[in-house]
Amino acid sequence: MDAKAMIDSLSSQFPGVIYDAQVESDIRILAKVKPESVKDICQYLKEKLSFGHLCCEFGVDYPERNEIEVIYVIGSYEHPVLLTLKAILSRDDPKIGSVVPVYWNANWYERETYELFGVKYLDHPDLRPLVLPQEMLGEWPLRKDYKGFPNKTAKNLV
Amino acid sequence: MAEVEPVPTNNEDDMQEEIPGVMTTSISAISDFLKKTKAQDIINWGRKNSLWFTVNAMGCCGVELLSTGMAHYDTDRFGIIPRNSPRHADVLIISGYVTKKYFPALKRVWDQMPSPKWVIAFGDCAISGGPFYESYSTRQNIDEVFPVDIYVPGCPPRCEALIQAFYELQQKITAKKDKGTDY
Ligand code: SF4
Repeated sequence: MDAKAMIDSLSSQFPGVIYDAQVESDIRILAKVKPESVKDICQYLKEKLSFGHLCCEFGVDYPERNEIEVIYVIGSYEHPVLLTLKAILSRDDPKIGSVVPVYWNANWYERETYELFGVKYLDHPDLRPLVLPQEMLGEWPLRKDYKGFPNKTAKNLV
Repeated sequence: MAEVEPVPTNNEDDMQEEIPGVMTTSISAISDFLKKTKAQDIINWGRKNSLWFTVNAMGCCGVELLSTGMAHYDTDRFGIIPRNSPRHADVLIISGYVTKKYFPALKRVWDQMPSPKWVIAFGDCAISGGPFYESYSTRQNIDEVFPVDIYVPGCPPRCEALIQAFYELQQKITAKKDKGTDY
């Protein structure tokens, strides 16, 4: 199954949920997904299209569009195609379902994305703080309008 | 020696601590007295030749720190030995960026080290924050917290630079100019 066939299979299986699907090259495909059904799609990808490896999951902040994108990069051990899935959330109250039941390694990615962007993962098994110190929790430092940087003049700067 | 009273006190509180016929003193009174004598030179000679350091590799500079402790550079000949427990160590090497999350742990390592102890700021990150000086997670101006004796610039500095830093520290201890002891 080549890249084109994969995207067709995905679009026909989930009409309206997958949109803006694109074949960028023989080994890269790109699609946007409605946030509600991201877990079902991952389930389908893993079971039917042998996308067995979640390489990465992260967020991107777009303040001028008032959006936060959560991006899933999913690869496979059986074919060379790499899929980029984007889910677009509102910046004011970003919420998305967790994909930990499908890809267990999403656990720490989601904990990190929650801390740095404030994306709430519903039904995540264990959304404890991971990378930030206690006093910085809830500041979402990777959002572009974050203001809490230290002053620009460290003492011994050369 | 400033603590010692010329007139022995006989009130109830002190009596419980005292041993009859023996003049007791505190540890710091002895070491304060020794600092004024030639004996301190001998003590410093011993201290400078056994600078054991903590192995807490913090940033990418930590890799250089680790390889300095390995067999290739053979720092044992200067008495510089890596120790895995802060309780055995004399020198804290801040080897990389100090994040706000790591800072309490570093402070704790420092507090666990027994005196006399010294600090080496190893790498640009430890000196000023380096490439990360205005990151949201960097703790700036770390030398306001730790009494840093030696700064080693470089990103990362080489292992030889660290050995040079130890040599400079030895010179400082010999000259009684280090910040590890109050002279
Ligand atoms: S000074 Fe350079 S090599 Fe050392 S920790 Fe900082 S960035 Fe890494």
